[in-house]
Amino acid sequence: MPEPHAASSGGAQAVDLTDEELDAYISTRLTLLGVDLTVLPEDEEDAPADQRRIMASARRFLRSTPAAIADYALDPLGPPPTIYPAEVHAWNHE
Amino acid sequence: MGEVNRRQFLERMTALSATAAMAPQTLANLPSRSGSRVGARRTALRPFSLPDVHIPQAADPADLTVVEAATALRRGELSAVELVEACLERIERWDGQYQAFNLVREEAALEHARAADASSSRGPLAGIPLAIKDNYFTAGVPTTANSFIFEGFTPDFDATAWARLRDAGAILLGKTQMGPLATTAATTPTGERTTVNAWAPHSDDVSPGGSSSGSATAVASRMAASSTGTQTGGSITNPSNAQGLTGIKPTMGRVSLHGILPLTYTRDHPGPLARDAVDAAAMLTAMAGPDPADPRSLGLPAVPDYLAAVRPVDRAGAPALRRPLRLGVLPGFLDDPEPPPETPPEDETPDADRVGSALPPPDRSQTRYRRDLATVRARRVLLRTLEELGADVIEVEFPADWSTLTSFNFNNVRLPERSEIFLEHLRDDVRKFGVSLSPWINGLLLSGAEYVRGQRARLILLRSILEDVFSRVDVVTQTAPFPFDMVGLPLVAFPIGFEAESAGSPLPIGGTFGAEPYAEDRLLELAAAYQRVTDWHRRQPADPDALRDVGETGDNRSGSRGDVRSRGRRLDLFDVMEQGQ
Repeated sequence: MPEPHAASSGGAQAVDLTDEELDAYISTRLTLLGVDLTVLPEDEEDAPADQRRIMASARRFLRSTPAAIADYALDPLGPPPTIYPAEVHAWNHE
Repeated sequence: MGEVNRRQFLERMTALSATAAMAPQTLANLPSRSGSRVGARRTALRPFSLPDVHIPQAADPADLTVVEAATALRRGELSAVELVEACLERIERWDGQYQAFNLVREEAALEHARAADASSSRGPLAGIPLAIKDNYFTAGVPTTANSFIFEGFTPDFDATAWARLRDAGAILLGKTQMGPLATTAATTPTGERTTVNAWAPHSDDVSPGGSSSGSATAVASRMAASSTGTQTGGSITNPSNAQGLTGIKPTMGRVSLHGILPLTYTRDHPGPLARDAVDAAAMLTAMAGPDPADPRSLGLPAVPDYLAAVRPVDRAGAPALRRPLRLGVLPGFLDDPEPPPETPPEDETPDADRVGSALPPPDRSQTRYRRDLATVRARRVLLRTLEELGADVIEVEFPADWSTLTSFNFNNVRLPERSEIFLEHLRDDVRKFGVSLSPWINGLLLSGAEYVRGQRARLILLRSILEDVFSRVDVVTQTAPFPFDMVGLPLVAFPIGFEAESAGSPLPIGGTFGAEPYAEDRLLELAAAYQRVTDWHRRQPADPDALRDVGETGDNRSGSRGDVRSRGRRLDLFDVMEQGQ
């Protein structure tokens, strides 16, 4: 069976997306889930969280994590998803 | 590779069916109800007994380890009331400074101690006062996880892990400060730091470790005999290393998570923070084992005899490891740190756009350099000591794809789990998350495809660790907090030295080792043998008044117990993303 391997990125580069494009995605996604960031202050350094910093964090997250995971190409016939890998190992090695 | 046997399969299916048959529950309405919607069915505590040990001539019963105190209690040389009073006196005197507790049960603990003293049937931990992290359900006692979300919440049943300690006779002394929802070092929900490191109680620059910060400080400062923590990304091992304690992060499923507020479903691990390996073994013996209320704990290899693992062994008249041990050393473990630049870098003002992007840039300060140098020196001595005890030290390479699969980005695969767990609260009002909000929002932005690929990658990571590392060695060094958390492997953390240059007063240096699934006994063997020939674990921090001139930063220097106050320094979103688990 082919081994998994890291592949080079294909398609659009997430880092090239503009802030406006990412903001539109973030806002749409949160609206779809019923999560409202507008209850936070817009830009208030002393607040525990504000919209400006939460959106900045989300943009940077989107510019790095999805693409990094997508770049790790896996064989469709390779390992199935396993949320408890240590347990699966133990269950199969008793 | 064998098949899962029928008995194990049926046990797991029975547990899963039982879980499914429970009344629908979410974390959304927990704070508004105290009623239990989950039965407290669990496997009875397995009987065990603690060894008789030498009792040092301690000036204060609070200085005794769990096993020393239990020995003294059994012999009638100490009463449970005296032991609890000793801890309460230290709490009364010092916790205004330490802020390790957010709730102390003086009267209830004393009442329990009186009952223990009067009882003829004693559990192995009878009369031992413990500090319990505030994300463990404790019947009739508020459980807040230091979050606005659980303000005023009082469960009416005990988390299984705590219930087993209770059934063994332990006394609930109080609930400990923690990072909100088990994320960072302990803060208020809005990010104001609370708990300090017991070794530097006047310094805001020395982290207590987190998120089990209060649990670590309570034990290190002798306000409790031992404590419990949870670990999703270093939250038992980091505070243990920061405060000179011995902590065990067990394999996933070894200790039931039932009744512990979740941060994730797949990476949370309950375990003890203790004064030494023998105490860690005693605590884990009580906590571990199958629990019908947590399917993750079923069908696993039998719980080993942890107390046998820490029993001393001599060979040729000298202390030795119990069994032959192949000890793996990963690259970088012994590398000297890079000296700091001659011209100190200008202070960087955090860029808001950097939040959540990657790991923070390395700390290139002189202080960090001195500490890293001392750490490497301590590691060299550690390996020499373990060789003298009989370990075969073997250099091993990183497993295949290690840097990719343990990267910040793959670590982020955990985030959708917390977002799902708390989705109703996110929909209700994001302000409830205080300073911790950002990772919860980011978790909503990953698709199912990325989550599934991340789960597939975890199995690849485990396989590569097993094939490339554990085919050659029995235990392996660790230098990063979360790779073994990602795949559920066990870890032990214990003190391997001290350094005094970076903070002006002695600070513990910690070592961390990992092992194969369900091999906690291997880790305890190693730690116990090492502690027979070293005394780092016996050192105790001076009381805060003796350290008053070290690291004094001005305000917030006094207070009374239970008065949890800001220390004037707040964690912000940057800290949460960089330090959070």
